[in-house]
Amino acid sequence: METMRDAISLLSYFVLPLILVGFPLYGLIKRVPVYESFVEGAKEGFQVAVRIIPYLVAILFAIAMFRASGAMEALTKALNPVLGLIGFPAELLPMAIIRSLSGSGSAALVVDMINQYGEDSIFVKMASVMYGSSETTFYVIAVYFGAISIRKTRHAVPAGLIADAAAMLIAVWTVRLLFHG
Amino acid sequence: MLNYIWAGLIISSLVFALGYDIRDLSVDKYRNGQPLPVELAFPQGYDSAARRVPVEIRIAPDQYASFYQTDQAPAPSYPGYLVQTKEGVQLRFAAGSKLPEPLATIGKVSKSRDDELQGLLSEFNPPGTNAAVVFEPVQFVKLNAIASAALDFAKTGAEIALGLVGVLSLFLGLLKIAEDSGIVFALVKLVRPILRPLFPEVPADHPALGMIALNLTATLFGLGNAATPFGIKAMEELQKLNPSEDTATNSMVMLMAINTAGIQLVPPVLLLALMGTQINTLIFPILITSVLGMIVAIVAARLLGRLPGYRASDPNRKA
Repeated sequence: METMRDAISLLSYFVLPLILVGFPLYGLIKRVPVYESFVEGAKEGFQVAVRIIPYLVAILFAIAMFRASGAMEALTKALNPVLGLIGFPAELLPMAIIRSLSGSGSAALVVDMINQYGEDSIFVKMASVMYGSSETTFYVIAVYFGAISIRKTRHAVPAGLIADAAAMLIAVWTVRLLFHG
Repeated sequence: MLNYIWAGLIISSLVFALGYDIRDLSVDKYRNGQPLPVELAFPQGYDSAARRVPVEIRIAPDQYASFYQTDQAPAPSYPGYLVQTKEGVQLRFAAGSKLPEPLATIGKVSKSRDDELQGLLSEFNPPGTNAAVVFEPVQFVKLNAIASAALDFAKTGAEIALGLVGVLSLFLGLLKIAEDSGIVFALVKLVRPILRPLFPEVPADHPALGMIALNLTATLFGLGNAATPFGIKAMEELQKLNPSEDTATNSMVMLMAINTAGIQLVPPVLLLALMGTQINTLIFPILITSVLGMIVAIVAARLLGRLPGYRASDPNRKA
């Protein structure tokens, strides 16, 4: 496992330089006016970023309000009995809920849990796997659809949330299976 | 769906904030206007003429527990100082004191300068060391909190987006070179057999497939900085194929679903920093979970797209 990890992280050092140097170099060989092309493409950067702002603000402020209101604790309490039935530990419920909503929030939760349970605890392992195996769905939706001004996202949100819920359950099960918790 | 979730988040935050605040009010959680007994010690002596006198504040744990009906205990003593004016004597806890709840909240909410918890001192008769302190009344904590959270994160949202300008420009520039030089086209040929089944709406030779491939490669290697611009570019290419201006196509939902699964071979940098070498044992479960999560995402995106409601809203169907 460790050698594979080393190989992959070694490879990942080369991917970015390959893109940064390889693209212009290949362009040069193909006699593309590389500088002009680059500037032409880069021009879009600002517009794209500005286009994202309303979408990102809409999503982030609603989630921030929800977190500040204490609704999370109430939700955790309400869902607790249901989750006991499928073997989902109550300690991980806040993480499972916040993972799709906020990247910084879920990172903070991992830190909290390390402080509370210690690095070796099975809960911290589960939380880390949850953090590492999933993206912040609402952020991805805001940025990707915001960049092209799509407002009607159709089944994007349900599909993302179903996948997130599945990933949270799978995280618990895999860690249990591998670490006999 | 997003409409309902979004409105739901906002409305439920108001409902819960109000609920918690009314509960706090009804049990008088913050003991507004009532004096909390404290014991004062003066390490540098007490000077009744001085405007500012350093003081050590001691709160008896049992008194604290019964006063606030809490199981939190205060520290043995807190540094602070007295501010003596004609209006009376003010007691201030030094900024950064690790206060127990609900004092921490009172300190935060009463918007005092430098985050110092402050209150008016009563029953203080020097050289006696016993006194009592009345803090500023605290009401509607959660209601305040949701309002300031909304303002803070509106700012954060704009900052995140504008923070992307540089990196976006860099990678969009490189992508333009890739397009002009034929790299994207070559990539399309390479990944077509894998990606075509997932994105059947995209014509076989369309550059969108190349952009999607770049996006997935960057994600796989944990290059979030590059993955986002590539993903945005892929979305732009998909939008060129979209007959509608504001409605997502099935391909867009599929790309989004794959991205939210966030499959990557290299563990996130933050997790590496937090967990140290422990991460080695977690790489395998993370990989399994994200692969399975991605499969669920793909299946969900595909199956949900077949539901009658989503079928009717498909821009490619209307056209």
